[in-house]
Amino acid sequence: MLLRLAWRNLWRNPRRTTIMLIAVAIGIAGSLLSMAVNYGMVDQMVRTAIETELGHIQIHAAGWEADPKLERILADGGRAAERALASGPELRASTRRVRADGLAISARGSAGVAVMGVDPDREPGVTVLRDALIDGEWFGTSRLRAVIGQALADQLEVGAGDKIAVSVQDALGELTGGGFRVAGTFRTSSSDFDRSTVLLRLGEAQELLALGGGVTEVVAVARDDDVIDPLASRAEMSLGEAVEVRTWSELQPLLLYMVETFDMMAWYLYGAVFIAMAFGIANVLLMSVHERTREIGMLRAMGMRRGQVIVLVVLESLLVTIVGVVSGLAIGLAGALALRDGIDLSAFAEGLASYGVAPRIAPVLRASDLLIPLVVAGFTAGLASCWPAVRATRYRPADALRRS
Amino acid sequence: MSELRLAWRNVGRNPRRTALTVAATVFAVLLVVDFTALTRGMHEKMIEDSVRLRSGHAMLAAPGYLAERSLDYFIELDGAMIARLDAVSEAEGWAPRVVGFALVSQDVTSQGVALLGVDPRREASVTSLPNRIVEGSFLSADAERGAREIVLGKRLAERIGADVGDQVLVYGVAYTLESAYELFTVVGLARVPNAKLERSMAVVAIADLQEFLAFGDRVSEIAVLASSAERTEPLRQALVSNVDGLVPAPRVHPWPEVMPDLEQLLILDRAGLYIMLAILVVVVGFGILNTILMAVLERQRELGVMLALGLRPAAIFRVVLLESFLLAGLGLVLGLGLAIPIGLWMEANPIEMGEQLAGVSELMGVEPVIRSNLEFSTVWKSALVILVVAMAAAVYPAFRAGRANPVDALRSL
Repeated sequence: MLLRLAWRNLWRNPRRTTIMLIAVAIGIAGSLLSMAVNYGMVDQMVRTAIETELGHIQIHAAGWEADPKLERILADGGRAAERALASGPELRASTRRVRADGLAISARGSAGVAVMGVDPDREPGVTVLRDALIDGEWFGTSRLRAVIGQALADQLEVGAGDKIAVSVQDALGELTGGGFRVAGTFRTSSSDFDRSTVLLRLGEAQELLALGGGVTEVVAVARDDDVIDPLASRAEMSLGEAVEVRTWSELQPLLLYMVETFDMMAWYLYGAVFIAMAFGIANVLLMSVHERTREIGMLRAMGMRRGQVIVLVVLESLLVTIVGVVSGLAIGLAGALALRDGIDLSAFAEGLASYGVAPRIAPVLRASDLLIPLVVAGFTAGLASCWPAVRATRYRPADALRRS
Repeated sequence: MSELRLAWRNVGRNPRRTALTVAATVFAVLLVVDFTALTRGMHEKMIEDSVRLRSGHAMLAAPGYLAERSLDYFIELDGAMIARLDAVSEAEGWAPRVVGFALVSQDVTSQGVALLGVDPRREASVTSLPNRIVEGSFLSADAERGAREIVLGKRLAERIGADVGDQVLVYGVAYTLESAYELFTVVGLARVPNAKLERSMAVVAIADLQEFLAFGDRVSEIAVLASSAERTEPLRQALVSNVDGLVPAPRVHPWPEVMPDLEQLLILDRAGLYIMLAILVVVVGFGILNTILMAVLERQRELGVMLALGLRPAAIFRVVLLESFLLAGLGLVLGLGLAIPIGLWMEANPIEMGEQLAGVSELMGVEPVIRSNLEFSTVWKSALVILVVAMAAAVYPAFRAGRANPVDALRSL
């Protein structure tokens, strides 16, 4: 009953209500879209990190994180770790790597690099590196081949087919090196990674580093994001103290901070927009209550209680806000859908690549993006209706009726 | 004048409505001015931190050096060059560098580093590097050539297990493409706000590095500092005219060319801020539109009478615009009255970030402190935007007001 009354009251002055609705809808649609684009960027940053190198889970020998030395290796070649990961349904793929710092040297220059020994057949199950090849091939069939980042290739002034030397310190502490022919070059979304990565075949890297059959890490990706933690704890349980099982967010806490910071920003943005709206809504309600002085007095004289008048005004406020928010969300969703192929920011490619973001950003919407505005809207509507509602109850029936 | 009085009276007619609209405007002004000041302060800090870390506001290097950063590109730092650099009055200081890559190792752990050769006496005039030492000391200014001192990033030192006083082995490739080995003594550990940089940072005396790399008297780059980021362009021009005619002439790169990623990041960040503020201002603009439109619709009769008495529609149009102007102006004055002191207060009292934000700022290579920078241009531009929006919001109501029908109005009297 009150609801119907409130709804009718809103449309008594359709122009005023429509303007208010447009304001709310624009505010919501704009906030939703800009948050979705922001989140798309962060999401891509996380995904790039996971897909180029990190994986969802890494398993190292105990003590590696604090002090990554080549003496801390998985001496069994990571077989136990891979068995533990594969013993449940959560695993999508895993692979083994060795990793050491080194120097890549060509006839034209040198650069500090991370030397990664990878299994050419299994690495593509975990990372996108093979698909990121832009020149040459993925190791090919000959011995002693390297695949390097394009930015590194530019710096060394080499291309597919050229020779480079890789210098490292092996597990025994000896400075040693080897010659490799560049099989191919890749370009990922992370300029840092492209500038500093040399991929070798696992076996050849183990030989170079005098590691025997040992590997430094086992990298795994889970079937989906929800089973990362179960997968990690399963591996941890069965492998015990000899290894460190780390998820991507433990390996790169800063990335997680970034995600959380953006979540926080969403609240601030919506908060600011809604406060601005609250003034407008309060204004509209106040005007409408003022216009209805007589009518409200009449309703009160006919027995409507003070509480019911308050509920009526609050309902009007809630209705206008919720209709505005829902239409704003609809517009925002339509906008996000229209932009689903991504916004082309290639003019800013360098800036984005240094943070591991590709120059095409698609908005990403999560359930919370729809929930936050609704929660904040309810709050705002309540806040905005306080003053008008109290004013409405102040009219004394007798005075109100007399004023005609 | 009478139009102004008329408009002012109309604004005062419904004090409650006016108060709410003004409050919304005050809120918008507050956010626009102070958020812009905060962002500006943060961006200037990012630029300042970055140029004081390495590049200076402008960098001299051989053509092609920026793309390759290899030893193939160099500048001869001879007497003529030094004289020309000293003659640039826009330059607060300049410092030559040699940049090479090397492996630094202690026992069995090694790490690839960007080996930076600096002039210990000149470096302090450009970068904050000498002040970033947390243990030990910076390279001594009067050390003999061959003292072979090295400063390591703190994180790098932790990684390879080196301490002040230890000797570390540096292994690299010389200009002649021969392998080079040398022992250096760790004299100090430095912290920088960029974790990645700190893990791969090693600094030695430029003379030692020139010898190590068999590089002669050549240098890779010369960093030049201006008095502030805003003076970058005058500095660039002064440098260009001063090195003009040298053979071979080095290129002058202002900081956005040296760090295009930083420049682009700042542009994107600013765009994000402006979008957010635009949403806010549009919402407030609709609030003003509503207020003015209601005020006009309530006064249809009155406006009709005024028209009947001979007031021109154009005058009524102006009165309504003026009302909106006064309403927004009132919000603006009160808003700035709040925003400016708050902005100045934030400028004087930098905010320390919480742990989480500190983590993000570390990722971006900035110290975890938010300093605001309130510029006069921010204030007047914000004021202009608010007034323009208020005017735009009043156009439709003003147009309606001018079309009030005198006949209908008089009939209903």
